[in-house]
This record gives sequence, structure tokens and C-alpha cells, in this order.
Amino acid sequence: MYEFEYVRPKSVAEAAGFLAANTDARLMSGGMTLLPTMKQRLAQASHLVHVGPLAELKSIAREGDMLVVGSAATHDQVQDSEVVRAAIPALAKLARGIGDPQVRYMGTIGGSIANNDPAADYPAGVLGLGATVVTQLRQIAADDYFQGLFTTALGEGEIVTAVRFPVPRRAGYVKFGHPATGYAMSGVFVAETGSGVRVAVTGAGNGVFRWAEAEAALATSMSPKALDGLALDASHFSEDIHATREYRAQLCRVMAARAVNELLG
Amino acid sequence: MPDHAHTPHAPFQRKEDRRLVTGHGLYTSDRTFPGELHAVFLRSDRAHAQIVSIKTDAAKAMPGVHGVFTAEDSKAAGMVKVMCMLALKGTDGEPPRVPARSAFADGCVRFVGETVAMVVADSVAAGLDALEAIEVEYRELPHVVDASRALDAGAPVIHDAAPGNLCWVGEAGDRAAVDAAMAAAATVIELSVESTRVIPSPMELRCCAATYDAANDHYHVYSVTQGVNAMRIQIAFAAGIPENKLTIHAQDVGGSFGNRSPHYPEHCAVMLAAKVLGRPVRWAGTRSECLASDYHGRGNQIAGKLAIDKDGHFTAIQLDWVADMGAFITPAGIASHTRNPVVLLSGVYRIPAMHGRWRAVFTNTSPIAPYRGAGRPDVNYMIERLVDEAAAKLGMDPADLRRRNALGLGQFPYKTPTGTTYEATDVPGSLEKAVRLADWKGFPARRAEAKARGMLRGIGMATFIENTGAGVFPKDQVDIEVDANGMVHAYSVAHAQGQGHETTFTQVIADAMGIDTANVLLHEGSPEHTLIGNHTGGSRSLVGAGSVCKLAGLKLIEVAKSAAAAMFDTEPSQVDYAAGTLTDRVSGKSTTLAELARRPEGLKTQAEASIGSTFPTGCHIAEVEIDPLTGTTEILSYVAVDDCGHAVDHTIVEGQVHGGVLQGVGQVFAEKAIYDEETGQLMTGSFMDYTMPRAGMLKHIVIDENCIPSKINSLGAKGVGEAGCTGSLSALSNAMADALRPLGVPPMDMPFTSNRVWHAIAAAGGLK
Repeated sequence: MYEFEYVRPKSVAEAAGFLAANTDARLMSGGMTLLPTMKQRLAQASHLVHVGPLAELKSIAREGDMLVVGSAATHDQVQDSEVVRAAIPALAKLARGIGDPQVRYMGTIGGSIANNDPAADYPAGVLGLGATVVTQLRQIAADDYFQGLFTTALGEGEIVTAVRFPVPRRAGYVKFGHPATGYAMSGVFVAETGSGVRVAVTGAGNGVFRWAEAEAALATSMSPKALDGLALDASHFSEDIHATREYRAQLCRVMAARAVNELLG
Repeated sequence: MPDHAHTPHAPFQRKEDRRLVTGHGLYTSDRTFPGELHAVFLRSDRAHAQIVSIKTDAAKAMPGVHGVFTAEDSKAAGMVKVMCMLALKGTDGEPPRVPARSAFADGCVRFVGETVAMVVADSVAAGLDALEAIEVEYRELPHVVDASRALDAGAPVIHDAAPGNLCWVGEAGDRAAVDAAMAAAATVIELSVESTRVIPSPMELRCCAATYDAANDHYHVYSVTQGVNAMRIQIAFAAGIPENKLTIHAQDVGGSFGNRSPHYPEHCAVMLAAKVLGRPVRWAGTRSECLASDYHGRGNQIAGKLAIDKDGHFTAIQLDWVADMGAFITPAGIASHTRNPVVLLSGVYRIPAMHGRWRAVFTNTSPIAPYRGAGRPDVNYMIERLVDEAAAKLGMDPADLRRRNALGLGQFPYKTPTGTTYEATDVPGSLEKAVRLADWKGFPARRAEAKARGMLRGIGMATFIENTGAGVFPKDQVDIEVDANGMVHAYSVAHAQGQGHETTFTQVIADAMGIDTANVLLHEGSPEHTLIGNHTGGSRSLVGAGSVCKLAGLKLIEVAKSAAAAMFDTEPSQVDYAAGTLTDRVSGKSTTLAELARRPEGLKTQAEASIGSTFPTGCHIAEVEIDPLTGTTEILSYVAVDDCGHAVDHTIVEGQVHGGVLQGVGQVFAEKAIYDEETGQLMTGSFMDYTMPRAGMLKHIVIDENCIPSKINSLGAKGVGEAGCTGSLSALSNAMADALRPLGVPPMDMPFTSNRVWHAIAAAGGLK
């Protein structure tokens, strides 16, 4: 790890000001990706601006037909939140499936979607539910927010403050864990929302994406059988020593069917 | 449930656990040294390249840096050798080709992770900063990472001293007899398998430290180890110094699996720095460093043929074995993958004709060392997969085929055609016990039920025999003494890395002396007790040092009797000993061990014995279920029936079997070291890619024993440390083959990852 200064701001505004004044500073929420990367000397920062402890970012609340999760809410908070469980049980389940207890105590939803790891779980939930990402500057629709491998719509110094989830009628999330890490090798979030059926896939390719054919088929008939024989663009999928493209596509089909079953209860 | 009826002891908690699980252990990296400096290593980032130049001046000038070392320094210090424990000439008349290896790559790097340079600095951080300032200019050379390809004509040559990358070639058995038997056979089964290269990953990362006592020209090396004696002779050899100029220090060691027995270049490197800089120098590897540069295990490609007559009797076996040695020799690497398979070529069967050829081969990969079983699981994997393929071809129950060919209790001692003498064991009895526990007969109904759910169920059996380590040193010695408080102290150079010696060895002594185990302490690797004896490895410690503990306890009683007799003014024969008290049968006077220990001469003795190999055996049965949609496998049941001779402590035995089986699960389903053929890079260089076995992969295991005591040691013990690995590779893989066979999937090799299994099912046309 290279040397850096630790900064604990008292507010989002102070953090944003500090980032603007220090271009080599990095924002840290839970640090569950950034710190291991820094330990490997693969990342370097002049300062770590730690917003994870900020109370203003930790709240979880129901606001009408929206579930609003503060960006520094930990996975542990989300998995155990009665509010989340009542509104979107599939989201609580998603949080419970991330990493291990140590990671869930530290890692946050804001950190996860700001990093946009192609195998992270939250991007599937955020895109699958058609959520809105809130920053100190603006609101960004999930469809515009995720832009591929570790890339998002966030600008320089822009800080995620909350995620607003429209509460769906029903939803389900099932992932196939990577054998070595437990990250999603293929994770599918299926939601029946006010604006239609949405299917988001994570872990299979260069970033979370929507499976349009599945959305159309499930809109007609919400059943696993509806997915049989659907087109699935193989170019979405990545290939490595753990899984071929074909296998990831197969997992995507199977996880989608299982997510539908879970949605159906 | 295990049968504990014949045990003299109820299972109890391990004596060492309170210390180890409450953070009171003393591991190598727990030690600190006044004035210590920290070493960090620059490692090769390529598979094979000439080193054109190394520029270290900038690194040397960095703040906090005390020295930068390269091959120039280690060569000047005479640190250029690797020990090789096999001196046998091969069938080409040549002994093993053992290329020189300095502490740092000398003019050429030969695998990713090889030590190139070392920075010694005030802190690890300062050292890492300086590493980035070292400039190495490489000229890439063609590489080869696969052992079979390394033998191809025109393959890149890794060492000039080893043309064709051949390190050693040897044959065993009678080729003509095998050829004749194969020609006459009713059925010949042929199968090629690979016991995959794995990376032993003990929880404690590899580390070492050195201090140099200039006044006495003496080195002290602190290291993870499996035994200080074996470590001392190896490091002294590699460093080119007399053994009496080196002391090895170790207390607690967090796992080894064979990987902590060899010497490593880092040992010499920190010794060199400690001497040159006059300060203690320590090094602690990171997980990624260890994955790349710890010696790997297995890596054996084997082609096998089994001949069977019309009655289902095995008539001949033949193996052609390619053992990947990696880029350099390790001390026991060749022997473990050539000698052990020769010893066990017959498996548990009577096979009249046997022949095999073994070729040890250099590749541009991390060197291979013994790994839990050291060639025994590998040869068993080959034999038992042949047997199951034979049963399938003949349409026989695999249990029946084994019943027909396994050596029965009445046939021991049995001398195999390659010259091994097996000691008595009851494999057929273990098989019947395992078959009952696994409900072998009820399997077809379970398979049908699974099929109705869309699942593929399979059952697999393995019978096995092993030769436990015969030892490197000619005998095992144990010192035993009583202190003034009556505490009995035993000293051994076997060295636990998780085996629980403090529990079993003290129990052996307590039993021998009729005293409470709470009054016995075991000390391993104590520098004050320079004993002859073997390190822990090859399932040998209870058989060797452990059984000598019994002799030591009994001998101490005799010494105490003599001392008491002198005190009572009588003959030792008139003195009775019971539970730490000595009584004069005539006068009724009595004394205690503690009282005798308080005499000026104390109360102590030394015992020793020369003990060779024992031959533990077993029958393991695994039952699996595959989800054909995802290719994932669940292990539904695992039964292990082992002959471990006399079991001192059943809890320890069970722990060994659990760990061994789970390590087998790891190799069969998950672990595999993968080098990219094109780049030579280690693709499994972190736990993000190297899949370790998880506890949840094996949810239930039934363990039982069918023990015939060994006659070659005073305890009747046979080694059990590796049995779990040896049985599980074969049992699990046979279960997988059984599950896939109805789909027409050809015999599939490990690792049975979900990706590979799904593709195998898809290639065979999917579910039928």
C-alpha cells in the first residue's frame, strides 16, 4: 500500500469540496474493493475521503411507492432492514448474498454501484428494479447510470447519496456464485414493476445489462417456461478459465428461470 | 456413527487447541528480533527469459534501504545448490539431472514467481517502494508449461544440463511379462488421466527469518517447517555451510501438506542478508507470492492399461507416467512421484505382471514437491479409475470386481512383482463394511429417484493401500526427562503442523507410564535437544517418533527403577512401578518420579528405534448428484473405512481423514493450478481465481475403522495422515464417472468443475 492521508468529512458537502480541491483524493465508502486494491499497490490515492460513517447517508426509508436506501447503508443493514424486507424482499436477499459477514458489515450499496464491478450483485438489483441513483448534483436513471466495466455516469467528484427503488409488484434474484470468490458468475434480477417487466443480468459479461427478449416473453407470461429457447446474445458474455461464453449463457438462462420461480413464490 | 467400542480412551479435545485458537501460538512471523530488517522479493513476471541486466543503484539509494541482493551476491556466497534425495540411476544410466539453483535467478528466469532480487529495508513498505526502482531487462525465451509438451521434439529447452527437458527416466517391473499378459487378455482397459497440479495453500503463509552470530560464524534460521533436522541438512547444503553452523528454530506451524518440508531460495537469501548487514532479516510472503512460488503438488500425467482374463481376474497392469517437476528440482520431488508409485503399482490387488515407466520433466512452472500423499493418491487414482472402467466394460458391479481381485487377509505378507512387501491388512473386510454403511445395494433406487427429479446420481468406490514414509534419517530418537515438579517432558524432532502431536504423543507416554496426560509435555524441534530423527511427513510421525515415545516412557520407568533401587539399597527387580510411584516390594519404602528427578543427576533417558513403512489401507465410497442444468455437483454421502492400525486417539484419526478427504474434494472439484500456454503466466495467482475447497462442499462424512495393528512399531500404528486424500480422489471421481456414464459421457478427468461437467454433458448430447 502506498502512503495516503485519511480524511473523515462531516458532511457530503464537505467531502465534495475536498474532492474538488484534491484531484488525487479518492472517495471511500465501505472500502471493500478499494482497500484490497490499494494493498496490492494497484491503486493509489493522496487522500481517502471516508464518507461511509456519515449518518446522512445511512438511512433506509419507505417514501410512498419508493424505497430510498442511503448510499452508505451497509449490505448488513439492507439484508436485515424490516423496511426493505417488507417493500422488496428480493433486494434484502440480494444483500444477504454478498460476500461474507465481514464484507457485509463494511460494504455499502453506494460503494458497490459507484465501483460497478461486472460481477457485483447490486447493479442487477438497481437496473432490474429501474431505480434512480441520487447524487449531490442530480438524479440518474439506472438505464443511464451503468455504462459497462467499472464505468458509470458519475462525473468527477460526484457522490452517490442514495438509491431510490420503485417498489415492484413482485421480484426475484438468483445468482450462481463464482467457485473461487462467490461473486456472481451469473446473477439475474427479475422484477414486475409498474412500468413493465425488467430483467437484469450481472456477472456474465462486461457489466450489468437488460435481457430484452426475456422481458418481452415474461410480460406475456410470467413463468419459467416462457424463457425456453429465447435468444440470448452471446456477445454479452465473457470467457475465462472458470467459464466459457456458452456456459455463462446457460447459467443466465437457468438463473433467470429460477429468479422467475422465486418471483412467483 | 464411528465405533469407539475398542478404544481405551474417550475422544477428548486436543491439548494444543486452547493455545492455538486463542492467539497464544508462536508462529514464525510472531517472532520479532531487536534491530530487525524486512526483506521483500522481486519475482519474475515471465515464464522464461534471459536476464540481460539488472540495475539496482536507484533502489539502493532509496530511503530506508539497507541492501539489494541479486544472483551475483548469492553466487559469491556459494549459495548455488538444490538438494536432491534421489540418487538412483535411471534406465538411461543417468542419475537425476539437478540443475544448479542460486538464491536468485542466475542469468535466466524459468518460471513466473522465481526470485530475481531482494531488497532489505527498515520496513516492508520501504522495501516495496525500492523494488519498483529495480530495472530488469529481459530477453524473452520460448517457454513450455505442459510436461508432455516439454518432452516433444523441438520443445524449448529449460536447462542445458537436461536435454529434451528430461530430468530422470526409470522403469520398474517386467515389460515382457506385461506384453504377454496384455496379448493374452480377454479384456484390456486403457485410460489416460491427470492428477492435476495443485497449489498447497497452508493457512500460514510461507515465511522465514535469519540472524547471524559473527563471533561464532553461526546462523539461526526461523522458518515454517515440518521438522528442524531435515530443514537443517537441506539449508546447510544449499547455503554451502557445515550443518553445525546452522540452528533451525520453529514452534507452531500453520499447515504444510508437504509444502513446508523443502528448503526454498528465500532461506539462503535472508541468511545472506543477515550476514552481510549484521542485522536480523525477516520475510513474510503474501498469498499471491506464495501461490506463485510455494512448491506445487501433484502434476502427474499417467497413461494406464489393465489386462483382465475371462474370469474377471487382473493379469497385468502397465503405466506410462510423466511427472512434471516444474522449473527446478525439489529435494523429494522426483522420488515422491516415481518411487511411491512403483511401491504401490499393485494397488490392493494380486496382479501377476506389472510394468511402468516414469519420466520426470522440467517445465516453466513452479517446482513440484510432495503434497499430501506424494504420488500415492496419484497412482491410486490411475488404478482405481481403470478398475471402475473395467467393471463398466465387463458389466460387473465395481464392488464385485474388487472382491474378486483384492488381496485377502490370508495372503499377507504379500510381495508385489515390483518388490514391495505389504504388511497384513483386511481390504475385503473394509469393503464390506463400507458397502453396508453406504447402502451400496440401495443405490439403484436412489438413482431412479434422482432421475425422476432430473438429477444425475452416481456412486463410486475406491480401495487403496499406501506406504507411509520410511524416513530420511536412519532412526528416530526421543529424549524424555522428569522435572523437579514431576512433570514429564518429551523431546522430538517430528514437528506438528496441525496433526495434534501434543495430544497423541503425550497420551502415548501417559499410557506407557500409567500417569495423567496433564503431567506430560511434548517439545518439538527444541534446539537444546539435538536428536536424530525424521521430520513429519509421509504419514509417519505417530509410527516413528510416536511409537518411540512409548519406548521412551517404558525405558524411563526402568531408569527410575534402577535409581529407586539404589536409594532403597536393593535390586531394581525388587522395585515396583505404578502411576509415577516406585515401591520397594520388601521394605515397603516408596519414592516418586519427582523425587528421583530432584537428585543431582536428574531423571532422564533417550529412546530410539529404526522404523520403516507401514501399509495403511481403506475403502472409501462417495455418492454424488449432478444438476445437469448447471453442471454443479453435490456430494451426498461419503463413507471412509480405514485400516490405520492401532488408533491412539479416534478424534485425531477422524480429523486426519476429514481433512484428507476434503483436500481430495478440493482437487477433484475445484483446485487446479493453471498456467496459460501462450504467455506462461499463472492464471490462478490469487484466491480470486484459485478455488480452495470450502467446508460446505462436504456436508457429511461417515468414518469407521477396520484395523489390523502393524507389527513394525511398538504402538501397532499405521499412518493415516494421507489416507483421506488417497481414497477420495478415486472414490469421488469414480462417482462422477458413474453419474455421467448413462449419458454416454466418455471417462472424464478431474477437475469436475461445473463448467467442465456441463460441457461434457452437452457434448454427449445432453440428458437422454
